[in-house]
Amino acid sequence: MASLPKRIIKETQRLITEPAPGISATPATDNFRYFKVAISGPLDSPFEGGIFNLELFLTDDYPMSAPKVRFLTKIYHPNIDKLGRICLDILKDKWSPALQIRTVLLSIQALLSAPNPDDPLANDVAEHWKTNEKEAMARAREWTRLYAEQPIEN
Amino acid sequence: MTTIPRNFVLLEELESGEKSTGDGTISFGLENSEDILLSSWICTIIGPQHTPFDNRFYSLKLYCDKDYPTKPPTVRFTTKINMGCVNQQNGVVEPKNLPILTNWNSNYRIQNILSELRREMSSSPNKKLVQPPEGANF
Repeated sequence: MASLPKRIIKETQRLITEPAPGISATPATDNFRYFKVAISGPLDSPFEGGIFNLELFLTDDYPMSAPKVRFLTKIYHPNIDKLGRICLDILKDKWSPALQIRTVLLSIQALLSAPNPDDPLANDVAEHWKTNEKEAMARAREWTRLYAEQPIEN
Repeated sequence: MTTIPRNFVLLEELESGEKSTGDGTISFGLENSEDILLSSWICTIIGPQHTPFDNRFYSLKLYCDKDYPTKPPTVRFTTKINMGCVNQQNGVVEPKNLPILTNWNSNYRIQNILSELRREMSSSPNKKLVQPPEGANF
């Protein structure tokens, strides 16, 4: 792991010492480019009360190309598909090396607050969101309760 | 050397499988489109020309456990086939009889296994074997 670029070391240290509110990211012990991520569902969103697990990987091209990231927790959201893949511009053509792991995770958290059914990845969910937003949000709350609520620790 | 974590290897494989590169003689995808663990795959091989497997469709199931690609997946034909590396009771491809599985390397991918199986169909010992009726299953 001696060859880990300085930038990644620096970003990792900052993620651990100054975590963004509601976001944790921890590198795997056997691969410092692979992070276990947890994002709390934002307040006043259908995902409130849930803890969503994700995985993030920095390829050899990072930071010239975006991190790879996906949800491991099931989520009912128009921009996240059944395999947890995320439709977000900064993960694709809008990526810039000036962005960081932190900014990516904050953008994903923001996407939970502001679903964008006009740029869908899960077409059925997006259709539901557009035709009956109230019902779609109720379904999203239901899925949060079913799949993303963690047992209360003592 | 950066090690790509299992799930991201399999996501890449899924995307390359969906793009259906090549001549279409091998294809593969997830058995269940909601399988977040990306474990169970269904695959098809179209038998090579000038062999007893010519123009037949063979279906296989492939299972990648948590140790993939450090360890190879388990591979099983669901379409009946008579081939040296295939257990005739259950369709399982015996790792000890298929070089790519015996000498597994973590850079190998699902596509490589399917290509090697298709090449095996053209090997001279396999070309001589009598085949079950088309479409029979294990």
